[in-house]
Amino acid sequence: MSDNEMLHGGDDDLSLPRATVQKIIQEMLPNEMICAKDTVTLIIDCCVEFIHLISSQANDICEKESRKTIAPEHILAALKELGFDSYVQEVESVLKEHKVQQKEREKKSNKLNKSEFTEEELLRQQEALFAASRARFQGRTQ
Amino acid sequence: MSTAPQLPPQLEAWLREFWQRQMDQAENMREDGLKETTLPLARIKKVMKMDPDVKMISSDAPLLLSKACEIFISEVTSRAWMLAELNKRRTLQRVDVAGAVGQSDQFDFLIDIVPPEYGYSKHKAKREVNPLFPYFRQ
Repeated sequence: MSDNEMLHGGDDDLSLPRATVQKIIQEMLPNEMICAKDTVTLIIDCCVEFIHLISSQANDICEKESRKTIAPEHILAALKELGFDSYVQEVESVLKEHKVQQKEREKKSNKLNKSEFTEEELLRQQEALFAASRARFQGRTQ
Repeated sequence: MSTAPQLPPQLEAWLREFWQRQMDQAENMREDGLKETTLPLARIKKVMKMDPDVKMISSDAPLLLSKACEIFISEVTSRAWMLAELNKRRTLQRVDVAGAVGQSDQFDFLIDIVPPEYGYSKHKAKREVNPLFPYFRQ
């Protein structure tokens, strides 16, 4: 919580970062077009309401399935039910990308675990490399 | 010029692969970083939790909702822009957003959020109250 949020009772004033929303707005507009400041505020308010709408619907869907955690598929189902079908494809692709990145991360950590050398050996090799590097450096400066 | 010390071949191969992966990652990040402006996931999660009925949220749900919000903002902006153009203005005003919202049923939930502008409120009078839309403002 920022100082500002603490002073003004935090959650009641919770909204989205203005600069980020303004960037998203500007990305859709041609250069000569600008968005008035109070219009950005209005769009932020609309977006917050959008989050409430989708979350509430997703929560209902989740509860109907007797599940306790709102999952990605609940968000997707909520979007469909509330008339935001056109968003589904793009939103789904974000999920797919995320899963691919997660798999890549897992593969990388497995790779380290499967290395032929134990951690001590790797550390010794690293120290050997540093020592060789130091020797070269000292050799050049002398 | 000094020559590099001889590395055991396995380590050499491992290092080569490691740096290749680092470079791949850097390339991907550069693409993502420049293309997309994203909303902070922690903040989205906080907004979701304002609803007392919402309890647990999976770690990737806010990610999806963040993307949905971007699309939503883009859509409202595009529609508002068209209205501003029609009125030969270079600045997006609240009335443009109100008009944009009035164009489609899917934006009915914003009835109380946008100012009652001419055109939108006329449209509003024809609508039935939809029981699907809960309100959090008391």
